[in-house]
Amino acid sequence: MKPIQPNRPAEPPRWANRLLEWFCAPHLLEEVQGDLHERFERNTRQAGQRQARRQYVREVISFLRPFAIKRKPSQYPSTPLFRPAMLENYFKIAFRNLSRNKAYSGINIIGLSIGLAAAMLIMLYTKDEVSYDRFHTNNPNIYRIVSKEYGTGGSLEGKNPYTGHFQGPKFSAGIPEIQRFVRYQANRVDMKQGTDIQSQEVFFTDPDFFQIFSLPLLNGNPKTALREPKSVVISEETAEKQFGTTNALGKVIFLKEKGQFEPYTVTGVAHKSPQNSSIKFDVLLPLIIPKEELANNSNWFSFFQNTFVLLTPQANVRSVEAKMNRIYQADAKEGMKEMADKYGFKNRTDYSLQPFTDMHLSKDFPASNGLVDESNPMFSYILTGIALFILVIACINFVNLTVARSLKRAKEIGVRKVVGGGRSQLTIQFLGESFILCFIAFIAAILIVYVVLPTFNQLSNKSLALSYLFDAQLVIGYLILFVVTGLLAGFYPAMVLSGYNPVQTLYSRFNLSSKNYLQKSLVVLQFSLASFLIVITLTIYSQFNYLTTKSLGYDDKNLVMINKSPMKRSDFRHLKDELMKSPSIADVSPKNGGFWATIAKVNNGEKQLNFAYETVDETYLPLFKIPILKGRNFSASFPSDSTNSVLVNESFVKDAGWKNPIGQIVDFSYDAPEKYTVIGVVKDYHFAPLNQAIKSQLFTMKPKNDYGRFFVKIKPNTETESLQYIEKTFKRLFPISPYAYSFLDQDNLKKYESEAKWKQIMLFGAILTIFISCIGLFGLATLSAERRNKEIGIRKVLGASVSSIVQLLSSDFLKLVGVSFLFAFPAAYYATDQWLQGYAYRIDVSVWMFVGTAILAILIAFFTVSFQSIRAALANPVKSLKSE
Amino acid sequence: MRRSYLGEFEELVLLTVAVLGEGAYGVAITDELDRQTGRSVSISAVHAALHRLEEKGMLSSRMGESTAERGGRRKRLFTVTALGSRTLHDIRSMRDQLWHSIAPNSLPAISL
Repeated sequence: MKPIQPNRPAEPPRWANRLLEWFCAPHLLEEVQGDLHERFERNTRQAGQRQARRQYVREVISFLRPFAIKRKPSQYPSTPLFRPAMLENYFKIAFRNLSRNKAYSGINIIGLSIGLAAAMLIMLYTKDEVSYDRFHTNNPNIYRIVSKEYGTGGSLEGKNPYTGHFQGPKFSAGIPEIQRFVRYQANRVDMKQGTDIQSQEVFFTDPDFFQIFSLPLLNGNPKTALREPKSVVISEETAEKQFGTTNALGKVIFLKEKGQFEPYTVTGVAHKSPQNSSIKFDVLLPLIIPKEELANNSNWFSFFQNTFVLLTPQANVRSVEAKMNRIYQADAKEGMKEMADKYGFKNRTDYSLQPFTDMHLSKDFPASNGLVDESNPMFSYILTGIALFILVIACINFVNLTVARSLKRAKEIGVRKVVGGGRSQLTIQFLGESFILCFIAFIAAILIVYVVLPTFNQLSNKSLALSYLFDAQLVIGYLILFVVTGLLAGFYPAMVLSGYNPVQTLYSRFNLSSKNYLQKSLVVLQFSLASFLIVITLTIYSQFNYLTTKSLGYDDKNLVMINKSPMKRSDFRHLKDELMKSPSIADVSPKNGGFWATIAKVNNGEKQLNFAYETVDETYLPLFKIPILKGRNFSASFPSDSTNSVLVNESFVKDAGWKNPIGQIVDFSYDAPEKYTVIGVVKDYHFAPLNQAIKSQLFTMKPKNDYGRFFVKIKPNTETESLQYIEKTFKRLFPISPYAYSFLDQDNLKKYESEAKWKQIMLFGAILTIFISCIGLFGLATLSAERRNKEIGIRKVLGASVSSIVQLLSSDFLKLVGVSFLFAFPAAYYATDQWLQGYAYRIDVSVWMFVGTAILAILIAFFTVSFQSIRAALANPVKSLKSE
Repeated sequence: MRRSYLGEFEELVLLTVAVLGEGAYGVAITDELDRQTGRSVSISAVHAALHRLEEKGMLSSRMGESTAERGGRRKRLFTVTALGSRTLHDIRSMRDQLWHSIAPNSLPAISL
């Protein structure tokens, strides 16, 4: 027999012991554990510790049997969880508590209702986003034909959501799985409305349009509406505008075609397109393609419209895509050869199908070119993030305030326990209180949503109505939101409060013994979220400021832009002569309409460049005050300029790799020989929005290129008279052209509309999070000042100054705010850096942004807290000390 | 007379409690069973059987002294009740009766 080592008594494995204590019924534990220990001792003596420990574990596990686990029924009768009298009492106490602590209830209700309202709005938004185009009954069999372009080395060169005239009919003819196809092309034509002429957006499409899409007609036959060439389908709204009635079948509207107005017969009036539709039209015309276009094989390579196909329900998308590519390879051979010979274009095009419902949120193949409301899933993510931030912060307020305030209710909890209230009953009581509060907040949130919905619509570019709230899915979503919020806010306080020891609470010795790390870390979390949003907001503000005030390299002040397309040279000369008669007009300059880009060869055909192609005259650069760095501008004294010379910008020179740009040749020869000499270099200016780098640009005066718009430089402060004069002159000279003007500086601002929207949304988000965090902090400061009432009194009696007491009370909270920066700033740095990467011209992420945020957050927090601490510090100590 | 059914193992445990007299508790019963029957008996099975027997009213128990080797925990000491005793006797008399009813030489002879 081995002697037991006196200094190291053998111990059975601790975990096994714990396990036994956990599962074994309490009334059996003593004897079972005793027996096991006794056997362990003996086994240790007989077989050694290792064996004994192993044996012990085996025996513990063998006790996992029903008899050992089953608890003995309590000898006292159990109280039911719900009893009407108690429920009544719970409600009474809850309402008394809410009304007695108005500040506390107010903070919680305001915070939670703002949080819930934000969450509701975002759910509404996201629901709308994901519901786009889902109402078509032919889903999921509607697809859009898209393509990817690969370079000769196999690298991805481009993603093309558009197609030309061929893809629809040719694929459809060769592939039986394609039931129908429809092409959809946007254009603008002039439309007569009474005596007025308006530029109207119209869409050309194939007759099967209404067979594929579930866009019902109010009047007219959807099968035949677009069959005849001169027929037109208009929207309810257009019908109202044109004819004053939606019963417009057979009536005639006039659209301009090849210079004169032609009658079109209304064959259908369509319902207003649903809000969540990518296809929204006012005027729909049959697409007619000239015969010579159908014969021209190079049409495989021009992409300008959307083509949709309807597949049979059994079709396999992969195999249809493969067949599409086979047809393309076979049919487009001739065109491919031509493209390679003429333009050196050897890229491979690979067709695929995009589900119609994926279009709205697609980044690769966005819904554009006549399709509307293109969106980015990023918006949904960011908005959801902000809403969650706000809701979480509001819930944290609830948790913090309830736990901090629970000291006051400790006696109530004690009494309830003493007279027989079980823990589960108390849990239910406190959870119930949080649900009552949450319910009030929920009602308030619906009111808030009702009030702010118009503003939200404006910010988010949507037209959501309150009636969308009553959608079954959303209602379920809101109920879940309600329950989750109630649990999130109420669960922890309920657990803590119901666990209080009645003896301690009733003995008046009760205190929150721990250092309350949870409350501290929740405050840190709140302020981390808030300061994160402040940094983001400041960044968006400065970037926006930068975008809108950065010098564009030209002068956009007092410049009026008017479209007139097409405009012949003689028309323009006439117009300019007339306009210059007004003393308020400084100069007039023409330009091509829209945005042109093309390719040409330089360096004796060695290099091919892609560039913006601007048709102007000699007045353009001086009018915009764009400097010429080398060489000279176009000039009337060199008549050959229009046919022989071009100007290029600095980027063009860099791309071409020229050391000495003047006199270089740019070769446009594709069909006929066409070569130009560079006579000057223009300083780079921002002709595109600032999120794009300045690209190559070339200016020509080529007579064959029509002008499409003109710019009028007016003298400062003459807006009214010059605009009136321009309009009068324009209408006199071009009576059948639509007239619309815009100021270039305002147009430039419009390019940053989405940034402006984000700026506002982030500002709202930041303000709300800061506000809710601060009211929470205010509540905590109030409670802490109340709790330390006597302490402050004693300090004052002993001679503490007001400022030292304010410091004492405030510094705790300010420290927490300081700690929150440690978490917020790295995250914010990363996020802003990522966002700014999207801009070719951007601000640097500066230290000042963070310093500013830190100062702002600390100041706000200090004011919030100091209000209470100053009040507490100024109070007369006699009041707090006279009673005990 | 109706009597509660006793399993074979329960019967053995009940008998062992009777054998041990004053000092019948979990470990002692297990050891005694081990020694008498030569089977390796698990302590949890003994506890389960004791528990069942007490529920059936054939055993009564009280908490005994605590000893150091049990970490200061007390033992539960079992004694056979009148019902337990009756049941054991019933079983025995029934068996005896059956033995007496066996005709001589009808069992194959074995050498003990």
